[in-house]
Amino acid sequence: MPKAACRFLVTLWGFICLFLICAPSVSFCADIGNCLLCHKYPGLSRVDENGKLRLLYINEAIFNTSMHAKVKCEGCHPDIQKIPHDPAKKVDCLIQCHIVEPSSEQKFSHKDVAEFLKKSVHSPLDADGKPKPFPEDFPDCKKCHDNPLYRPMSFNKMMLPGISVTALGRCRVCHKKDDFIYQFYNHVTTRLRRSRNPKNIAESCARCHDNPILMKRHNLSTKAVYSYGESFHGKAATFLDERIPDCLDCHVNPGESVHQMLGYKNPQSAVSAQNKGRICANAECHPSATPKMAEYKVHAEFNLNQSPVRYYFTVFFIALTGGTLLPLMGIIFLDCLRRLFPNTVLIQRKKKHE
Amino acid sequence: MASSSRVVTKIAAIFSKSRSDNEDYFTEVEGVGRIPRDIYKHVTSNPFGDLPRYSPHIVTQHFIIFVTFLILAATGVPIYFSDLFWAHYVIGLFGGIDLARQIHRIAAMVMMAASAYHLVTVIGGTISKLIKKEFDIKRTQIPRVKDLFDLIHDFRYFLGLEPYRPKMEKFMYKQKLHYLAILYGSFVLMAAGSALVFPDSLAKLFSETIGKVWPQAMGSESVSTFFQDLARLMHADEAVMALIVLAFWHWTNVHFVPGRFPVQWTFLTGRITREHQIEEHFLEYIRNLKEIPAEREYMRNLLQQIESESLQQEG
Ligand code: HEC
Ligand code: HEC
Ligand code: HEC
Ligand code: HEC
Ligand code: HEC
Repeated sequence: MPKAACRFLVTLWGFICLFLICAPSVSFCADIGNCLLCHKYPGLSRVDENGKLRLLYINEAIFNTSMHAKVKCEGCHPDIQKIPHDPAKKVDCLIQCHIVEPSSEQKFSHKDVAEFLKKSVHSPLDADGKPKPFPEDFPDCKKCHDNPLYRPMSFNKMMLPGISVTALGRCRVCHKKDDFIYQFYNHVTTRLRRSRNPKNIAESCARCHDNPILMKRHNLSTKAVYSYGESFHGKAATFLDERIPDCLDCHVNPGESVHQMLGYKNPQSAVSAQNKGRICANAECHPSATPKMAEYKVHAEFNLNQSPVRYYFTVFFIALTGGTLLPLMGIIFLDCLRRLFPNTVLIQRKKKHE
Repeated sequence: MASSSRVVTKIAAIFSKSRSDNEDYFTEVEGVGRIPRDIYKHVTSNPFGDLPRYSPHIVTQHFIIFVTFLILAATGVPIYFSDLFWAHYVIGLFGGIDLARQIHRIAAMVMMAASAYHLVTVIGGTISKLIKKEFDIKRTQIPRVKDLFDLIHDFRYFLGLEPYRPKMEKFMYKQKLHYLAILYGSFVLMAAGSALVFPDSLAKLFSETIGKVWPQAMGSESVSTFFQDLARLMHADEAVMALIVLAFWHWTNVHFVPGRFPVQWTFLTGRITREHQIEEHFLEYIRNLKEIPAEREYMRNLLQQIESESLQQEG
């Protein structure tokens, strides 16, 4: 089926759903919390001005196990005031939602993160507040983040992913509401590790850091995620190992926010020449490492630009492999032929000559 | 100069020779008779081997190294090619990357132990033979000029320019080539592998030795960085090469070529079939005739039988 027809049918179906379901509920338009009344239908979609199909379906079960489960839709989409509504505006991650942070009892917002980000290498503005070259290349919240799911851990007997029923039972001794217990169990244990595994973190950086155009514009010398993937750390990450260092373990100073990464030439950066020894020698990694070890290249690519010696060495090895294999295969091939046709003589005439 | 001109004349001699003469065709062995070069086409052979070739030590070492090599390849290759779709399944078979890495290291240690065992047997055996004055360089893996001529001769045979295969020693040119390649390859793999398991020790080692004497050896970067990167490259490249050579050269030669397919049992029994010994290790067979009375007996009978058959045909 042609794409256009496909789109048309899907859209039509979406509109029919909208009509059937939303039309009768217009009378509840004050009931703003009830967004899922429509958004729970998997076919719900529309084609936007640019001809792109937008899926508007929200999977309630998944949303409810996500970090933002407690935030009401209109907490992030404040422009939606009535149903049916106009196309939604872009979400501002720094908005103050109605959630209250209990320790300060203030309305909650991610403004602090923006402050961190401003001082990091990922800020589009330089130290004097002037835009850096190509400011559009720098990430905002939504370039690095989606709505992550909770990744609770259980510490009952072993460290395992998931919720420990035993631990829930202990909370229940003092707290009465299961929803509350469940919510905060997730909240706390998810924060004990990253919300994404090393592979996914690398993938989220790859969209920029493996982009050759962006690398060139900002004088970055390596396709960082590719070269990380060539190292043993990165290879273990592709097999979903979580004990190996991801980008953040090396590039973020211990105890700081991950949004405070700095360029390696900055002496305060975790991977600056002075500091990187300490990163390797972390008690969980290579406790006996000397600063010498930190001189090993993490982002080695073995290409002609980065290191001609290593590049030619690789070429030499490929040549050596080919150069030995081809003659060997030649001998084997002839040997086999001879064994299959033992009496064939290549040059017949010579024989008669004798 | 003198020796190289000898080599040239010898090569020329081999190429000008179109058919071996009678003297080449028959080999006179005292108490047995005149043995034709192609007698191997008429002998009977026990598939599990008739003549001794490897001592139980060598068979054991080969077996350990062969098993550990396969384990090392199975755990190592998917790490090197970690982005291929099947890598995950193979690593999964070994219980995940953490376990696979440990298995790789243990297998490597076993292999290194077997290699050390091999060196001890070979060196010890050589010394004891030297003492007993039984040492014969022709029966060892040490390459000689003859191997080059054998290669050329064999090449001509494969092309149909020579009627018979060369008369070769216990180890023919293919085996010597392969053995030397393994000596070199396993040294590289073990050295590079150790550098990868003990990155910090390597850093100390080089910075306190070469780095002290010659700090600017590698320009701006340290000597240990250079060697660590080298280790990363060599370990993988050398291993892939070893694997390819093993699968397409060693196994083909030993087990898959017509006449030997599907398997040659020497690697387990340490014994070689009579047919194979005469075809590819003729000179060693001649020694077998001198050393083993039973073999002498067999060959004498066979020669007599052939003779009487041909007499009958003529008559
Ligand atoms: C944590 C904040 C947050 C919450 C809570 C939230 N959203 Fe969103 N929503 C976003 C972001 C961010 C986008 C991506 C589009 C953008 O950048 O504006 C989005 C996009 C959408 C879209 C797609 C819009 C389009 O044009 O493609 C729909 C539909 C939507 N949300 C519905 C909901 C519903 C229904 C709820 C309540 C169950 C909800 N959202 C809760 C942040 C949120
Ligand atoms: C360079 C990419 C990047 C940008 C830009 C970014 N973040 Fe993050 N953020 C991350 C990573 C990576 C983590 C750690 C994620 C994990 O734990 O899996 C994180 C974690 C967080 C966390 C959880 C607390 C923590 O530090 O672990 C919050 C909240 C957050 N980010 C908010 C924001 C907001 C708000 C913005 C926009 C101002 C933003 N981020 C911009 C990459 C980014
Ligand atoms: C021994 C009883 C007890 C157990 C067991 C217990 N709590 Fe609590 N919890 C309390 C008390 C009492 C408070 C109030 C403490 C305060 O305000 O200083 C509290 C406060 C909290 C709060 C802060 C609530 C707020 O709004 O201030 C959270 C979240 C919480 N507990 C989660 C849990 C979780 C999750 C578990 C199980 C892993 C658990 N608790 C186990 C007694 C307990
Ligand atoms: C084991 C520690 C480690 C890990 C893991 C790591 N890096 Fe690095 N990274 C470094 C060090 C150290 C440098 C400093 C440059 C150098 O010494 O080669 C660096 C440099 C960089 C640079 C600057 C390169 C240049 O030359 O311009 C970028 C960009 C970068 N890393 C991104 C990443 C990303 C993205 C990831 C995750 C996929 C990552 N790094 C993972 C240690 C690490
Ligand atoms: C939207 C694109 C984008 C994303 C996504 C992104 N970055 Fe960057 N990053 C950049 C740009 C552009 C620079 C260059 C900044 C400069 O040099 O001015 C940079 C620079 C860096 C540097 C400093 C390089 C140096 O000079 O030493 C590090 C480290 C880094 N990024 C790590 C990360 C990590 C880790 C992630 C993933 C969590 C990530 N980045 C995601 C665009 C991005």
